Amino acid sequence: MAQVKFVSASRVYAKNAPPAVSALDLDVKDGEFMVLVGPSGSGKTTALRMLAGLEPLDGGRVEIGDRDVTFVPPKDRDIAMVFQNYALYPQKTVAENMGFALKMAGVHKDERARRVREAARLLDLDDQLLNRKPKALSGGQRQRVAMGRAIVREPKVFLMDEPLSNLDAKLRVQTRSQIAELQRRLEITTVYVTHDQVEAMTMGHRVAVLAGGLLQQVDTPRHLYDNPVNQFVAGFIGSPAMNLQTVPLAEGGARIAGTTLPLPPAVRTAASRADLKELVLGIRPEHLHVANGSGELTGSGNLAGSRELTGEVLLIEELGADALLHVRLAESGNLVVARTEGRVSLSPGQKVTFRVRPEDVFAFHPVTGARLAG
Amino acid sequence: MTATAVPVRPLKGREPRPQRFREMSSQVGWGVLAWVVGIAFFLPVLWMVLTAFKPESAAQTWPPKFTFSPTLAEFRLVFSGWGPFVTHSVIATAVSTLLVLLLGVPASYALSVHPVKNWRDGLFFFISTKMLPIVAAIGPLYVIALKTHLLDSIWLLIILYTAMNLPLAIWMIRSFMLEVPKELLEAARLDGAGRIREISGVILPIISPGLVSTALICVIFAWNELFLALNLTVTNAATMPMFLISSVPQEGLYLAHLSAAAVVASIPVILVGWIAQRSLVRGLSMGAIK
Amino acid sequence: MTVIEGVAPPKVEVRPRGVSRREKWQRRLPLLPALIYTIVVTQIPFVVTLWYSFQSYFWNTPAPAHFNGVSNYKTVFTNAAFRSALVRSVVMTATAVIVAMLLGVAFAVLLDRKFLGRGVVRTLIITPFLVMPVAAALVWAGPMLDPNFGLLNYLLQPFGVHHVAWLSTHALSSVIVVMIWQWTPFMTLIILAGLQSQPADTLEAAKVDGAGALATFRELTLPHLRPYIELGVLLGSIYLVNVFDAVKAMTQGGPGTSTTNLPYYLYQQVNNAFDIGDAAATGVVTVILTIIVATFALRMFARVFQFEEGGV
Repeated sequence: MAQVKFVSASRVYAKNAPPAVSALDLDVKDGEFMVLVGPSGSGKTTALRMLAGLEPLDGGRVEIGDRDVTFVPPKDRDIAMVFQNYALYPQKTVAENMGFALKMAGVHKDERARRVREAARLLDLDDQLLNRKPKALSGGQRQRVAMGRAIVREPKVFLMDEPLSNLDAKLRVQTRSQIAELQRRLEITTVYVTHDQVEAMTMGHRVAVLAGGLLQQVDTPRHLYDNPVNQFVAGFIGSPAMNLQTVPLAEGGARIAGTTLPLPPAVRTAASRADLKELVLGIRPEHLHVANGSGELTGSGNLAGSRELTGEVLLIEELGADALLHVRLAESGNLVVARTEGRVSLSPGQKVTFRVRPEDVFAFHPVTGARLAG
Repeated sequence: MTATAVPVRPLKGREPRPQRFREMSSQVGWGVLAWVVGIAFFLPVLWMVLTAFKPESAAQTWPPKFTFSPTLAEFRLVFSGWGPFVTHSVIATAVSTLLVLLLGVPASYALSVHPVKNWRDGLFFFISTKMLPIVAAIGPLYVIALKTHLLDSIWLLIILYTAMNLPLAIWMIRSFMLEVPKELLEAARLDGAGRIREISGVILPIISPGLVSTALICVIFAWNELFLALNLTVTNAATMPMFLISSVPQEGLYLAHLSAAAVVASIPVILVGWIAQRSLVRGLSMGAIK
Repeated sequence: MTVIEGVAPPKVEVRPRGVSRREKWQRRLPLLPALIYTIVVTQIPFVVTLWYSFQSYFWNTPAPAHFNGVSNYKTVFTNAAFRSALVRSVVMTATAVIVAMLLGVAFAVLLDRKFLGRGVVRTLIITPFLVMPVAAALVWAGPMLDPNFGLLNYLLQPFGVHHVAWLSTHALSSVIVVMIWQWTPFMTLIILAGLQSQPADTLEAAKVDGAGALATFRELTLPHLRPYIELGVLLGSIYLVNVFDAVKAMTQGGPGTSTTNLPYYLYQQVNNAFDIGDAAATGVVTVILTIIVATFALRMFARVFQFEEGGV
């Protein structure tokens, strides 16, 4: 059993500086692929290193299995780590790199060779590569050796620190799915750090969003997308990002582009209780449905109860199957990005009308960023 | 679904940290060991400085004295006698270093930025002169110096010191020039810079710290040089190392005087070395280690 | 709709390449002053040495130099003093280089970790190198090693050492100790540069892989340090084989000839003997031996110098 627990784990670097990781409470289930995602400085790498034993804890504890490993050195935690720059041993061959931990553990030479070959096969590493030094390998090959080095150990937990960030875009997409598939096959608990929310969404069973050393939300990718708990998560998850606009409150709703978008009563109550005159409205690009001049929809779908927003097209990003429209909304002048359903024949300078369903709109506190009424 | 919108203060009251304590004490132990080693290794220098402030009577005692009433008498003696020696040293060192830079910068340029065809051979030629022992040619060198009336002349030392330091300087300066980003040179080229402008306007400003390091290394070697000075000078060009040799008399007490002379002679290079520590590695390894 | 047929690839004409003659000379020009200067100043003495090595030329007789073939060389090769000076040079250099390198690695490891006053300790450790060599030698000979007043005898008293005349009974060791003392900082700095260039994440990976401090040093650090050690040994040998100051200042080659190395031997020949021919021949033989060794050294040099550019 290898679940991982962060219990109120903290790491502070300087006396009066804000903590790098602040009282993190996170449970990773056995066999789960947990992604820690956030911008740089969010504390995700620090948290991973605390789990690895490469950073000491200034508060709280870390558990692997049912064991408190807070003061246990890395080599006794039964973990394996893939580093961002791979950290391969330059003077050793690929086989020696992968077998190093086993050698340290006193595993016999033949057994080592067998396990190394097995791992190499799993990762599609050619036999002839085994005798080369890292210098002679391509970036993708090095990345696989780094993974192989971790796999060979059959640890309780895999730790991965942005292992894809040094690969070119195409290789990254390819390797992403390979890693996810590998983890499903091996069923080893994995904690994976990345700044790329696409990686987080596509690879993780659950995703933990961190910012400024604090855990913002941990949930399945779908739930994070549909139910962000605050403005940060809402704006971080999803590409292109959710449109976030500060808008004034009006009777029954919020005022934007010359219309009043109705807000659910719970939201209005929360707003008035907090004495708010304005709030942050969040609308995902795909929820701005393009309508033609007469208000009819160009796409499909039932949009009962939707409201109209008009604006002027500033820029069109052609994606092939669909497009992103950069629009300046009427009256308020807010800039939004909308994703079209299929092709539309619009050009910059033209007027465009959107229909938005009130239930697709998120409302956030303009100061704290907290979601108003979840 | 968990969410934390408000930061939670970490728990007060730290748990016991046996690991932290072990880490700290090993760090302190390491520091103590390092200090002991450092001081032990430095001891002869310390002893030299201490002895320099002793009156002669206190310098040759048994057991050796650690407390005494310090005096500047020996230093005064040194300063009264060092005149010609230090002058010759300064002239020989400064002029030879200048010559080294004047000859070395263009040569390094020709071996790095716009290399000549056989630049590798050129480089190895220079370093081979460093490997050949000058001691082997000292006899005929003496004869040549005699015949050209350069014996016991400061110019002889300048000429020889320049030749001695030139290979080192070329390797060093070359290593600095190789670090100048190619894009800068290309941009200058596009702006119409010719070779001279390229060197003076782009390269020299960028490598000027490197030139300083190179000069410092040349100063160290020229200032400390004994063999050539010993064999080829008598009085008109005798340098500080010779001064030191002469401060060992045939008879009489001399330890304090010697120490004072040693301190005075070594101070310039010690100061230079302390200030330019990082350049030391680069210079001594002929530019191999940055 | 037009059909696009296969297009035959265009004929490519390659102009003969090469740098123009004018460009070649423009590139050579900056090199020439330094090159000519070095050739003149370093090669002429050796040519003259070569010339004199075939002459019989005595300083103290009025007879002019005259050709005597290779008889000077015969003298050199049959001269036991020359051979023993050669052997001694090798012994002194090898011992000093090896011990200085061992100490250098140890000191570098010490200095690689953070501790209070690290910069100061580093400065203390490199100072011996900065002391003027002849000054260092004289200070060791006098205030340190004097049989009656020296510090070393005083410090070793509790170990049962009494008034040892180091420069009489342990002359060679004393000279070697001074060489080591002065050159350990050089080794330390080179190895320290090597330690600090080791990527930190490979050391962390080793930690995670279960390697303790000793295993990490043996398996990772030493292989990483190899080119640095080679460089230190190579350069150190070049500098140390030419050591003259310590011998001159401390023992003048004695007692007897027990500390006479090759540079000092040549110095003696020139100053004390009057046989220029013999001194010249000795010089030539020394140069030839040096060339043989230097050829191997230069090949090593080329390989070692690759490592900084290539990177690992």
